[in-house]
Amino acid sequence: MIYNNILIFLSGTLLIATLVLVIKREFSEWIQAYKYQTIVLSIMTGVIGYITNNWEIYLAAIITFSLKAVIVPKILIKVTEKINYDFKNETTPYISIRLSLVVSTILVALSYFLTQQIQLGEDVIATSFLPVSISLLLIGLLVMIGRRIALNQIVGLLILENGLFLFTLSLTHGISLIIEIGIFIDILVGIVISSILIHRIGYTFDNIDDIHQNRESIEYTEEDD
Amino acid sequence: MISMFEHIIPLFELVVVSYICGALFSLLFRKFGSGKPFFIPTIIGSIFLIVLSLKVIIDGSSLHFELAPDNVFSVNHFLIDGIAAFFLLLIGIVSLSVSIYSLGYIKEYIEDKHVTVFGFFFNTFILSMILLVSSNDVFSFIVFWELMSLTSFFLVIYNHENESNLKAGIIYLIMTNLGTALILASLLLLSSQSGSLSFESFRLSSDSNSAYVKNIVFILAFIGFGTKAGIVPLHVWLPYAHPSAPSNVSALMSAIMIKTAIYGLIRIIYDFSGVGSGVTDNHEFVWWGFLFVTIGAISSVVGVLYSVVEKDIKRALAYSSIENIGIIFIGLGLSIVFLSFDLIYLSAFAMLAAMYHLLNHAIFKSLLFMGAGAIIFRTHTANMEKLGGLVKGMPWTSLFFLVGVLSISGLPFFNGFVSEYLMMLSFLSSYHIPDILIAISVGFASAAFALTLGIVLATFVKIFGISFLSKPRTDIIYRIKEVPHTMLAGMGIVALICIILGLIPFIGITMITHAFNLQLPPNQTLFSFEPILSEFGASNNLSGLSLPIVLMIFVSILVATLGFLYVVGGRTKQRISETWGCGFGYFNERMQYTASSLSQPILHVFRNFYRPSLAIQSILYHSSNSYMKESVKIQISNKNIFEDLMYGPIISSVFKTYERTKKFQTGKINLYLLNVFVIIILLLVYVRLSP
Amino acid sequence: MMPIETSASVSGVLIGIIQFLVILVLAPLLTGIMRKIKAITQKRTGSSIFQTYFDIHKLMRKDEVVSEEASWIFRFSPWIIFSSTLVVALFIPIFVVYSPFGLGGDIILVIGLFGLSRFFLMLAGLDVSSAFGGIGVSREMMISSLIEPALFLLVFIVAVTYDATNIDTIVSHAAESSVLISASLLFSFFGFFIIVMAETGKIPFDNPATHLELTMVHEAMVLEFSGKSLALIELSQSIKQLLLISLLINFFIPWGISTSFSIAEMFVGLLAFLLKMISLGMLIAYIETKVAKWRLFRIPDLIFLSLASGLMGIIFLFI
Repeated sequence: MIYNNILIFLSGTLLIATLVLVIKREFSEWIQAYKYQTIVLSIMTGVIGYITNNWEIYLAAIITFSLKAVIVPKILIKVTEKINYDFKNETTPYISIRLSLVVSTILVALSYFLTQQIQLGEDVIATSFLPVSISLLLIGLLVMIGRRIALNQIVGLLILENGLFLFTLSLTHGISLIIEIGIFIDILVGIVISSILIHRIGYTFDNIDDIHQNRESIEYTEEDD
Repeated sequence: MISMFEHIIPLFELVVVSYICGALFSLLFRKFGSGKPFFIPTIIGSIFLIVLSLKVIIDGSSLHFELAPDNVFSVNHFLIDGIAAFFLLLIGIVSLSVSIYSLGYIKEYIEDKHVTVFGFFFNTFILSMILLVSSNDVFSFIVFWELMSLTSFFLVIYNHENESNLKAGIIYLIMTNLGTALILASLLLLSSQSGSLSFESFRLSSDSNSAYVKNIVFILAFIGFGTKAGIVPLHVWLPYAHPSAPSNVSALMSAIMIKTAIYGLIRIIYDFSGVGSGVTDNHEFVWWGFLFVTIGAISSVVGVLYSVVEKDIKRALAYSSIENIGIIFIGLGLSIVFLSFDLIYLSAFAMLAAMYHLLNHAIFKSLLFMGAGAIIFRTHTANMEKLGGLVKGMPWTSLFFLVGVLSISGLPFFNGFVSEYLMMLSFLSSYHIPDILIAISVGFASAAFALTLGIVLATFVKIFGISFLSKPRTDIIYRIKEVPHTMLAGMGIVALICIILGLIPFIGITMITHAFNLQLPPNQTLFSFEPILSEFGASNNLSGLSLPIVLMIFVSILVATLGFLYVVGGRTKQRISETWGCGFGYFNERMQYTASSLSQPILHVFRNFYRPSLAIQSILYHSSNSYMKESVKIQISNKNIFEDLMYGPIISSVFKTYERTKKFQTGKINLYLLNVFVIIILLLVYVRLSP
Repeated sequence: MMPIETSASVSGVLIGIIQFLVILVLAPLLTGIMRKIKAITQKRTGSSIFQTYFDIHKLMRKDEVVSEEASWIFRFSPWIIFSSTLVVALFIPIFVVYSPFGLGGDIILVIGLFGLSRFFLMLAGLDVSSAFGGIGVSREMMISSLIEPALFLLVFIVAVTYDATNIDTIVSHAAESSVLISASLLFSFFGFFIIVMAETGKIPFDNPATHLELTMVHEAMVLEFSGKSLALIELSQSIKQLLLISLLINFFIPWGISTSFSIAEMFVGLLAFLLKMISLGMLIAYIETKVAKWRLFRIPDLIFLSLASGLMGIIFLFI
């Protein structure tokens, strides 16, 4: 019972961290918030390790922390250093920040509603973390849909990936360590490739917006936010 | 004994006779254009009406009346039960104050209009509402409903010189007739099930109707009455019709006419559908309540969002009516939802909240419309951008208007607070709902409700602040005088009721529980009301809200502070000087914040809803230099998403259909005969083939 | 345990008065402490922590200048604002789970009374017909109308979790409960913290230290007040800050608060309250130093964050 409470509290903390991620507009703030979210995630991983008494999960927690909370943010900050600030700051998202906040709460409600049907039995970890991981997946997708700037879409991808990680962990209580390390390396490679791409695109076109901004006819030109 | 009293003073007949007198006098005494002969019978009639309805509510017994001898329909019975009496009381109070107010207000029209016509329609309008509420069969209900709609239509287009008022009237007529058709369909469906037109038979057969029929009846009635009530998206007529009418009529329409729709819905749901009667399975009706809550939440948010950016006082008030109807719908919906989960006390509590808000809205909205009328009476404009500084010339009007504003904003010591408090407690009780999805949705609806409250405060700060405070924006206001005493008296009555209902909620609560026969837990005391957060019995936590005591503390703190400040600070002088304004100096009235700029931040935050577009026109001194501008004109216009996106396509498709049917209208007799011929052949074939 | 039973006793009344006085006395001190901490984190010396008292005392003795455009609403509003804030002070327990007027104290009434004072503040801002008043009022209109739904949701969570709307009862239930009673309280705490920052005019929302029209919200509305009126406004502002912070403390971290009238426990309660208050003040001052003032039209994002947090709390409440 006490585990259950702690787990629900942790999922609450993760959701708050995700909300904080959603309201950010500027890339370096994104990275900062992503760091916090990943720290919460690695604590959650550690707790799962404690409950299942599995040392491999502890290791996964440490790798999560060191890779996603330290290395990935460093790389991303490093590559995007020289990119013009205008291409790192989300000024006119497709889905406004306020709307995406409200929609993400609806998504959370939805994922709790959806997972209610699944019979998970006595599995405390799965019952409390599965809905959260699904809502992380959905929110990550929402962020990727709603943002105009390519850089910020990477962070959406990272939220989605965090959700995926929690999803597998909560359902399987740790797949084989080799596979997990493989996934981690995969992420790292993905980040490196995408950052190289960003780097190159940034230099070549000096514009990494995924759609030409001037095609949009903005009706209310008084002040954008 | 009651019946004896009833025989001695035939109150109901007196009420009807006085209103008819009012209507006839206004036609007969065309020479006396002063307005007195029209409104004095109305005043007397409303006093009778108040006495009658209070009597019914206090006695708790319903009254039967028969106005005409049995006729061919055998339906001319009238019944005043508790629910009807509650609505009659509202009509009585509002028509009393409005007709006293009208004694003065009619002078606005006396010089260049036939006020006799106005008096006739005014009295008939109120009378039709009274008879509508007390009618006990489909026939008279529909007749008086139509009479109410028609008379109010004529009152809306009373200022018919103005083209836009005529347009408003037409929109109103179309929408209200559509609504009437649906109501008629719903009532006739009920009568086809029971086999009689009388409401009595509906009550008897309510339990035997199948759920399918009940759902259809509900949908028809919901849309039909909803049109009259002005719920979103059927609200389009309301913001046109209410401002077009003379202000006293707007007060009547907004305060009581749209409430008759709520009356109809309550009758259909609680009386004729057997919800909560214990016989039918209530759980089937949970979606009714859900629909009510959803539509109510949408209406309240949409209404208040339009209201806050509005520049015209009366239009802003009209939109605010939509919002308040939304709040009442939320309350009714919560009541139905609770009832469908057999939470009887909570259901009664939510019903109480809704009805208290209905009562409050009738009171303060009539006050506010009368206040807006007082402004128009003196300044001949309802545009806030041309007002300002009225508080100096019209101190009493502004005081009464302030009472109305404080009430509608839901601030403590005024009646709006009580109903909003009750609504919030009903929302808090929603955690007893066993269905998680519905409970969470109600939680989300509570956010919409609270958002509404927040924006209402902003709206009325804007309305009061821009029109009554600060520097006058037009010169006429410097010489403005207070309105006549009769108008002040009319406003004063309702302002007083606002304060009474706000300070002693017990009065209103007792009245509503008596009228609606609500089962609330019995632990109420005189000055405090102890609501139920959890189910009555188990852990009945008390949260006594004793507003008079809070007010006493408030005043004593005020006095103590006054004393303390003079002891510590000593006597200091007060100097009257120019506005400081960070020392920039020289302020004129055009440098103040305007109504539209005041609400601009809210417009910006919700710009996806308003879809504002900005047009900047600058006139240059010389075409070669674009920096030297002679003048710049900026115009912000908002799209009305309901009119443009919903009604626009419907109307245009109707016109397209007309265009197509035009082809048949060639004017050749032969073609018309051909049409008739083809139809006859088809009919004959159909008759032959059908079994 | 319901603390209401003791309300009639003499000691109850005495404790109530003491708590009320503690609020009155501590409020300017809290403002002073927060300013001092902010100054230290910005490597300034800063004024003394008692400076607010001196300011208010000075203002009380000053003559008043009233705008010629102002009506009675402008003159009366400081009194109404101050009185309604003090009435709220009667409802909120500080170090004992008992407030002098707890029986009538209700969290919704508290919201209503804060609304009353805000209403008159906004009217007073419009009354003087200066453009500064208008700018402040229009911004306050936006912020306050968005705060309302967030605040109601957060209160909703607290009231349902502790099964009461009476503040005394909520606090006494909270003091008895364990840390992990409900995860929705976590959301409520997070959201409430944002609301407190917004309502007290802290940096991401407002910067009362400057008189610059770009940042003014609250200051713009009170610009025309002087003398005694300004003293009242300033005092009620710091009382409101203390009240909101003590609500935050007593709803979400109530441990240490005294549940009985024994002297020792109350002393501990007072100490714990002071400790929590100062550490919260330090946290707020730290955030104020760390974060830059947000652009006006980004402020709704933050309030929506609080709202979304409240909505998620509601979801967690029902599952």
